Amino acid sequence: MHIDWFVLFCQIFNFLLLVYLLKRFLYGRIIKAMDDREATIAARFADAEKMKTKAEEAAEIYDRKNQLLAEKSEQLLNEVSIAAESKRKELMEKVREDVDAIKTRWQDMLMREKDAFFQDLRGRAARQIYATARRALTDLADADLEARIVDEFIRRVRELDKEKSAQIRKAITGGGNRVTVQSAFDIPKETQDRIEQALKKQITKGFTINYSMQPEVVSGIELRVNGHKIAWSLNEYLETLVENLTETLQKEAHSG
Amino acid sequence: MEIVAINQISPDQVILWTWSFITINVTIVYTWLVMAILVIGSWLVTRNLSTGINVSRWQHFLEVVISTIRGEIREMTKKGVDDYVPLIGTLFLFICVANVLAIVPGYVPPTASLMTTAALALCVFIAVPFYGISRNGVLHYLKEYFQPNFIFFPFHVMGEISRTLALTVRLFGNIMSHEKVIGILLSVTPLVFPVIMQALGLLIGVIQAYIFAILSMVYIASATSAQEESHKAAVSEGIQA
Repeated sequence: MHIDWFVLFCQIFNFLLLVYLLKRFLYGRIIKAMDDREATIAARFADAEKMKTKAEEAAEIYDRKNQLLAEKSEQLLNEVSIAAESKRKELMEKVREDVDAIKTRWQDMLMREKDAFFQDLRGRAARQIYATARRALTDLADADLEARIVDEFIRRVRELDKEKSAQIRKAITGGGNRVTVQSAFDIPKETQDRIEQALKKQITKGFTINYSMQPEVVSGIELRVNGHKIAWSLNEYLETLVENLTETLQKEAHSG
Repeated sequence: MEIVAINQISPDQVILWTWSFITINVTIVYTWLVMAILVIGSWLVTRNLSTGINVSRWQHFLEVVISTIRGEIREMTKKGVDDYVPLIGTLFLFICVANVLAIVPGYVPPTASLMTTAALALCVFIAVPFYGISRNGVLHYLKEYFQPNFIFFPFHVMGEISRTLALTVRLFGNIMSHEKVIGILLSVTPLVFPVIMQALGLLIGVIQAYIFAILSMVYIASATSAQEESHKAAVSEGIQA
């Protein structure tokens, strides 16, 4: 077969030229573009990775902060509730104390009013009974009530036992030989003599008697000497009356 | 008028202009046409290359082509892939475009000329020792010819020559015969069948371009990396078969 050397070398030259031109215009540029793009993408990925890491760190920091805040708020809440509870207890205690104080004051006041009432009642009752008894004695026995009271006093003096007599005698000696006889009424001289006679006979001699009039000794007569006393008065009866009355009133108050 | 008559076995026979020993025939003119298409196309596309996200379609296309070529080369050799891209890529693109343009009426592929295929095969024949020596040195390259012992030297030389011849004739035979088959079919059954043959011709053209480029790469790779020689030889045997 015929070999056309010119065409052969021409084609070799053409091919080598094409290799050069394509290397110049195609491969170099395209490969460079692809490499550049790969580098750009790699850089972007690296950036994204960096940003992701940064974002994760930031998220972690905020999580930690949130947790701290939550813990702190819980702690504050606990402290506040503890403080509120203690304040409540304190106030309750104070109120209880106030109520107790008011109650005590009210009870005291009530007691005082009750006492005042009974005091008053006793006084009135005593005076009333005294007046009634006096009128009754005057009307019925035709005798002076005061004389009867003195008689009763003298009788009691006479009926003193030895031991009591000895005690009183000792008291009279220790009290400077002075005896006080108190009565709610004026005692006539004659009666005073009778009393003195009776006392000297029953107890001892050699003392002076001092008479005084005391309205507090309700319708009675009493002898006081250095802590000892011989007496008769409506007081005893009145006290019994008052006790009974108090008991009755309390029962009624409780049942009411 | 037919550019290549049925009795003319090669487009080299169609001489357009001649002066002294210089003869400009159809092969050379169509070679220039293919070269012009490739170079101007490349220049137009690569004028405004984008390295960002937005890439033009043509740039995408060329990137896919180049990436595929690089991938193929990378399978043959691990080192210096981009050194082989100009030669192997140009072999593939030139043969492929030259063959595919056969679909255009009046065009005759330059690869249907024995001179063109011989020129390409000679380039590969020169490239193999060129790359082998530049990669491993003269001594190492020459030593390969005496493996496993000196008796094999003539066989190695014969192998070099015969595979170059095989490259030449394979491409020439395929494309030329395809042209002739089309011509014969047109005269026998002018309807339908030539179309099927044309479609088949496109496939054959691309496959031949691929085979030529891959075999060239296999030869170069076998010369540059002796360690992988047996593997490459097996691959080349497989492709040649």
